[in-house]
Amino acid sequence: MPVWQVALVLNLTFAVGLGLGYAGWGRRAEALDREFDAARAQVERLERERAACAPGVRAGEQQWEGRGVVRAAYPQLLVITHEEIRGLLPARTTSFRAASPTLRDSIRVGDPIRFSLRGTVADDAAVVAIERW
Amino acid sequence: MRALLLTALWVHLASCVLLVGAFGMLLLAGPPREATARRWDRTLVRRSRLLVLVALGSGIVWLLVRTAVFENRLQAALEPRAVWHAVLDTWPGLVWLARHGLLVVLGAFLAMHANVVERRNWIAARGQALMLATLALALTSASSHAAAIAPGTLWAVGVDVTHLAGTGLWGGGLVALLLLLRAVGDEDGADSRPYAVHAAHRFSRAALIVMLLLMASGVLNAIAQVERIAGLAGTAHGRLLLAKLAVLVPILVLAGVNRTRILPALSAPSVSVRRSAIRRLTAFVGLEAVLALVLLVLAAAMTLTTPARHAEPVWPLPFRLSLDVLVDVPGTRWRALLGSQLAAAGVVALIASCLVRRRRTPVLAGALALVAGGAGVGLPPLVVDAYPTTYKRPLLTYHAASIASGMTIYGEHCAGCHGASGAGVPHADLRSAPTSRRHAGELFWLVSRGIPGRGMPDFGSRLGAAQRWDVINFIRTLGAADAAKTIGHQVEPDRAWLAAPDFTVAVGPLAPGALRDDRGRRMVLLVLYTLPESRARMTELARGYDVLSVLGVEVIAVPTHASSEAIRELGASPPVLFPVVTDGNGDIVATYRMFAPGPHAEILIDRQGYIRAIWRGDAGGMPQASAVQAQVEKLNQEKSPPPFPDDHVH
Repeated sequence: MPVWQVALVLNLTFAVGLGLGYAGWGRRAEALDREFDAARAQVERLERERAACAPGVRAGEQQWEGRGVVRAAYPQLLVITHEEIRGLLPARTTSFRAASPTLRDSIRVGDPIRFSLRGTVADDAAVVAIERW
Repeated sequence: MRALLLTALWVHLASCVLLVGAFGMLLLAGPPREATARRWDRTLVRRSRLLVLVALGSGIVWLLVRTAVFENRLQAALEPRAVWHAVLDTWPGLVWLARHGLLVVLGAFLAMHANVVERRNWIAARGQALMLATLALALTSASSHAAAIAPGTLWAVGVDVTHLAGTGLWGGGLVALLLLLRAVGDEDGADSRPYAVHAAHRFSRAALIVMLLLMASGVLNAIAQVERIAGLAGTAHGRLLLAKLAVLVPILVLAGVNRTRILPALSAPSVSVRRSAIRRLTAFVGLEAVLALVLLVLAAAMTLTTPARHAEPVWPLPFRLSLDVLVDVPGTRWRALLGSQLAAAGVVALIASCLVRRRRTPVLAGALALVAGGAGVGLPPLVVDAYPTTYKRPLLTYHAASIASGMTIYGEHCAGCHGASGAGVPHADLRSAPTSRRHAGELFWLVSRGIPGRGMPDFGSRLGAAQRWDVINFIRTLGAADAAKTIGHQVEPDRAWLAAPDFTVAVGPLAPGALRDDRGRRMVLLVLYTLPESRARMTELARGYDVLSVLGVEVIAVPTHASSEAIRELGASPPVLFPVVTDGNGDIVATYRMFAPGPHAEILIDRQGYIRAIWRGDAGGMPQASAVQAQVEKLNQEKSPPPFPDDHVH
């Protein structure tokens, strides 16, 4: 075989090898990364769903735990400056629905608290439990 | 260990460079027809096989030593598991694997005794070898200092690849050319002299382009890796670069002589002149090749040295040049202007001397005299004292906690002479613009070592380094607060110059945030308040918070008195929903009261982190709700925000 053909075959082999390597390994690695992230999010969600398991709970409800400081308390609404609530919200001040009007009885504005939220998404998450931090 | 690593790396790099150069030179010279030229071709291929083995061997030694260095155990170099881990589980290891795979393929390709008599086969064989060798050399960039630059990694790696490939074509090409010239310099090689002359001319033209590319990519690399003059003169990496430049100068001179004097003589009608020119060219090219190998030693050492941009410069000179002098001492401006004009005229004359053919020497001498004269006139006024720590990066950021701590230390150790305001020593006002323009590292030196001639004691033995940096942060704040007197209630559009000291925002026991968290996202209205005086304004702010939020403003309230009950003290109605600092407020108040004294003050900080408006409690009272909104709207209309201020003082 003439050398120019050998060189051509060699370069084609390189190009095909790189292409197949990317297709078979590079893209697979990216897909694995995505699958891993999705699996981790699924595990976290299942853990929150397990935490929300209680009589009368709606299907798909999850439970989140948070820490914060009470900024305002109304019978139906609690405004809390909170740390990041993993899987739900970043650190900020948020108004949450109170699951029970009696929740505010045990707290005052300025109190540091630990609280539990239950719901399916951020918009319908309600504070179901509060304890002083 | 380091010497072994450097030697292995140099041998490896040199082998790869020689491989690239050998095949680059062969392709430049073209397929050989005469016996001597063919012999040269075969010699280069034979030696290239050897070079591949040397490159692989030195590469393996490099890998083993690096494994030992990474593992911090000498024995690790001989442990297959550790070496395996270094190769497969690290990015440099994968790059090493790819490069050495290419070298193996190149070795196999060269080992193939192919028939290259036909022109296209010869070109294919040498071209293929050149491509494989260049890839093996250029891939080094993927795990070099350039690959660590972010953002702009691709650009930095591209520049580095250009530099490496250029080095291979030029440095390796020199050695290949040297072998050709030596071969045709003998009596037996007379048949191939025209071929050699043709090759030398082609190499000269190509080398000119490659050298320009090398210099351009070298400058870009230096800008990326060294960043500033201090890094060039004050770090090991920078000094190696200077040494490289020092070696490059004789190389350029030799190349210039070769190109302008010797190459034309190669085509002289007289045989004896031509032979003599070949001998001189051989000697000069040999010298250039040796210098190129010295350059590679320096390049290998640079690869193993922390890049200057990450290293702490130790300034080697007792002076530096500062344009700030022109601002502080107006009388120096004319001299600097005259000097710069003379030097500029000299540079123009220097360029002209390269272009003119007649009277080049007097023009060149005149140009150099002008440049020297301009430097002599213009530079001396710009000289200011400098110290080894001049470019030292402060240990601590420009943060309220550091400034407040510095304020206390200053009160105990410095205020006795300098006064509480910093203006106690004549001609050494710590708030003045000249003091503010001195590098923080210079203040650090003066605080640490003192100024014996002026009675300033040294504090290096009495205060820790962190405490000295605290004092310097405080001194910087003194200057900043003095300059901030010009900032009032009105935002001056597009004039952001006063960096806001960072501070910690701690609300109750929650994980604390910081002022800088809002950079690039929101403006901040920092409110220093005192109850009961500020009650009405705080109520107004609580009611207007939603409007301010919509406008992109976060309100951060800091009580002037320490209280963990600060939120409760503000009351529940109307609800106060903006952050109220309940911990560490003393540092914030101490720092920001330097800018805005009084029981109540409000400071508007733009999205980039610059103070843009101040409402001082002692002048003009508290702002109206609409007044703040009006200034915020001005900031919202700014189109070209400045870069974020540095986290450290300068």
